[in-house]
Amino acid sequence: MIQVYLLFLAGCIISMFLYKQNETAAKVGFTISAVASFYGVIYFFTNLGSTSEFSLGNDFIFNPHFALDPVGNFFSFVICLVAFASSVYAIQYSQEYAKKGSLAVMAALFNLFIVSMLLVISAANVFWFMIFWEVMTVVSYFLICFNDSKQSMKATIIYMGIAHLGGAAILSAFLLLANQSGSLEFASFANAELSPAMATAIFLLAFVGFGSKAGMFPMHVWLPKAHPAAPSNVSALMSGVMIKVAIFGILKFCIWLPVMPWWGLLIIIIGALSALLGVLYALTQHDYKALLAYHSVENIGIILLGIGTGVYGMATGSSTLAAVGFLGGLFHVLNHATFKGLLFLGAGSVLYRTHTKDMEVLGGLAKKMPYTAFAFLVGSMAITAIPPLNGFVSEWVTYQAMIQGALGEGIGSRAVFTISVVALALVGALAIMCFVKVYSVIFGGTPRNQKIWDNAREVPTSMIAGMFILVAGCFAFGLGANVVVEHIMSVVSSFAGNFSAADGMLVKSPMGSIISTPLIAFILLGSLIMPFITLYVVKANRAKPRETDPWACGFKYSSRMQMTAAPFTGDLRKVLKWLYKPEIHHEEGYFGPVKYSNHAQDVWWNLLYAPVINTITKASDKIEKMQNGNSNLYSLYILVALCLALGISQIL
Amino acid sequence: MEVIFWMIIQVIVIAFAAPFFDGIARVLRARLQSRKGPPDFFQTYRDIIKLYKRGRTAPKCAHWFFTYAPYFMYATGAAMLACIPIAYSGYESIGFSDIFILVYLGALLKFVFGVASVDSGNPFAAVGGSREQMIGVFVEPVLIMSLLVVMLVAGTSNLVDIRAMVRAGEIGYFIPAFAVASISFLWAMYVESGRNPYDLAEAEQELQEGVLGEWSGSDFGIAHAALILKQFAMIGMFLAIFEPWNFTNPILALAVFLVKAGVFYVAAVFIDNFGSRYKLISSFRQNATFALGISTVALILYIVGA
Repeated sequence: MIQVYLLFLAGCIISMFLYKQNETAAKVGFTISAVASFYGVIYFFTNLGSTSEFSLGNDFIFNPHFALDPVGNFFSFVICLVAFASSVYAIQYSQEYAKKGSLAVMAALFNLFIVSMLLVISAANVFWFMIFWEVMTVVSYFLICFNDSKQSMKATIIYMGIAHLGGAAILSAFLLLANQSGSLEFASFANAELSPAMATAIFLLAFVGFGSKAGMFPMHVWLPKAHPAAPSNVSALMSGVMIKVAIFGILKFCIWLPVMPWWGLLIIIIGALSALLGVLYALTQHDYKALLAYHSVENIGIILLGIGTGVYGMATGSSTLAAVGFLGGLFHVLNHATFKGLLFLGAGSVLYRTHTKDMEVLGGLAKKMPYTAFAFLVGSMAITAIPPLNGFVSEWVTYQAMIQGALGEGIGSRAVFTISVVALALVGALAIMCFVKVYSVIFGGTPRNQKIWDNAREVPTSMIAGMFILVAGCFAFGLGANVVVEHIMSVVSSFAGNFSAADGMLVKSPMGSIISTPLIAFILLGSLIMPFITLYVVKANRAKPRETDPWACGFKYSSRMQMTAAPFTGDLRKVLKWLYKPEIHHEEGYFGPVKYSNHAQDVWWNLLYAPVINTITKASDKIEKMQNGNSNLYSLYILVALCLALGISQIL
Repeated sequence: MEVIFWMIIQVIVIAFAAPFFDGIARVLRARLQSRKGPPDFFQTYRDIIKLYKRGRTAPKCAHWFFTYAPYFMYATGAAMLACIPIAYSGYESIGFSDIFILVYLGALLKFVFGVASVDSGNPFAAVGGSREQMIGVFVEPVLIMSLLVVMLVAGTSNLVDIRAMVRAGEIGYFIPAFAVASISFLWAMYVESGRNPYDLAEAEQELQEGVLGEWSGSDFGIAHAALILKQFAMIGMFLAIFEPWNFTNPILALAVFLVKAGVFYVAAVFIDNFGSRYKLISSFRQNATFALGISTVALILYIVGA
């Protein structure tokens, strides 16, 4: 494993050495990260079930010790997979930023970002975990800054604020746990003797801390602002894998701590809320990158549903339920990384050629960018869980786990599980609406802005290659679900129960439900032949269609007549007015044109964050008066502080 | 292999018989409206064949997705039918007959429908597409709640097993939750099959045949057949779970299924003929809330253990 890390570090250093040759630095730097992550993909896959460790310089600052168990290998594999696609993509995509900043720095930071995530996964004590956790946050902050604009600066500050709150919560959880176990080494945590109250306190701190990084409701507010602000190859990494590192943290704590059933139910409730609110806010977005970011909130919710079911199973001593729950959660981690990475890369390609994030001015791009359109379509179908692609299988396993949970006794747990199943189904219906909107408004129909459309063309080869690596992933993890399930089960069985989820080509649940994704693909393809045979048999008229404008009731067709993104969800926004609390603006004035805009707001920002920020701003305004430049006053402050310190020491 | 053989037979037979029942429904509807209507029950076949012979037009702006959408829709409808254990109900499941596969194939159909409607560039089609999605949002919770109750009562999502259990009397209407769920599922099934008063997507003249507006000739014929298939799939889903009494002999089972599904299909004329069309976010919404209430009752009955 150390070779993988060293390769990334080499990439980081070499690209910094090439600081003067900007474009070469990017090519070399991203190629090295591509090679490193490809090697990582193979390494972590072949060593999935094994454990490995290494230490550096004995007892040098807090004993730098790194270890990987099967869970760590699995998460490292996911990181390397998305990093591979994203690096290949970035080789040419990064040229976009040649004028905005130093590409050498970008490539170096990119390598550092990946290696910091990998090291967070493998760190084996509190000190180094926190160090690399913060390195990961700070490096991603720098990477967002490459898109230098007022909005992205604001986004990064919000991101840093919430990341610090989360970091504080995680550190407190770690220190409390270390205090109880008597050592900062992770190995000692599993044997710690904890009172239920203490365990609960540690769990809640860790859940809030890692949850804030994962973008779980209600700490999700930074995510839809920060992820779209980054360059797209970085967005893919942030949304695809960085938030999974937080899931890894939650999982680790659940393995260490003596879990209780209500923790599982809490995770499930939060998961269901995140999923539902994530998709509802995604539906109102016109900025396609922000929309994808909201879908990350949704998918983190779905992952939490699986993890929560696993925790519940662990706590109630039902090992099969734990196994299926964690299987669903981890499978969705892999799948979400694949298709969200793909969608962000696709969004990056659109942005690369059109230079706008507003989908209302796009349209008809499928004719100009056929490969990008196909990749984006596959990503959309995978994220909406359409069989036989990968998203369907992990959602199916999650459904099975939750239904099995709902079969248990106890009204409370039954209610939580059943309502979450319904929430997940509703999320599915809403996600379809959302991705129909994104795909068809960007790639379908007539161009809404002729100039943008005229300038658009297909993106360079490396960007297409990057996307198609993940397209292949979406198909492979779906059609080869039985193999994937078997491997993830070997990971899950290292810390929770076990059951044989794969049987030949079939994926099984403990309840006796079985699916076979190759069969689904076979039947769909087989039925696709049916209409063609029918047309052949009846000798249908298959002359080439006459091309016309769309029918507009006899009026001359104009591209302004067609549907845009906002009205597509208009009915939904009317129905959910109570949630969105839209800001409606009318442009007044008798002679002026009437302009009407209607923006849904993320009410949680106003509800939970705005008051805190306002209080702090007001308080600092008050405190500002103390700093008036008068040196006499300053010496008074020093004197008062001294007296206070003396007084306190006297009391103690 | 035998299962796949009967699956194919089942889909082909239903695909060819379905327009006949549509023909009966049309004759009956015409009589109810005091019109003369089609001369016999085979009018839908003649319509589709006529469409196959016609030339086609296509909007300039649309890309390949729109062109092949009717075929995708047909394939999905056929796959949904293949998913329902009718002729092969005597065999073990081979990994295709699962409630979630059926529900998510329905989602695929909605996806294709939605993307094609916006891709056509036709303003009316896209409005229809948007409403179709909205209907999906209203129906999905009711549908899944009813099915969830069934899956919980049966302890599996395997459609073949559920059907066998209901037929053997292990689970059934004597369980209150199951009985109530059957009512709300019936509503969901009716709405999903896209009939009046819920057929907003395919509202006729004022929306220029809604979503289907831009297809013509053989493409339109295929799309038309796909929608009939989907209706049969939805009815089939109801029959497989809530009314599974049938023969085990594949051919007899298929024949009986066709008659039963046909009765449902034709009987729906009595509802769609007399109702006026519902507005999406007023009367439709109230209706959906009512159905949601029924399905919630079913779920609560399960949760408290009744």
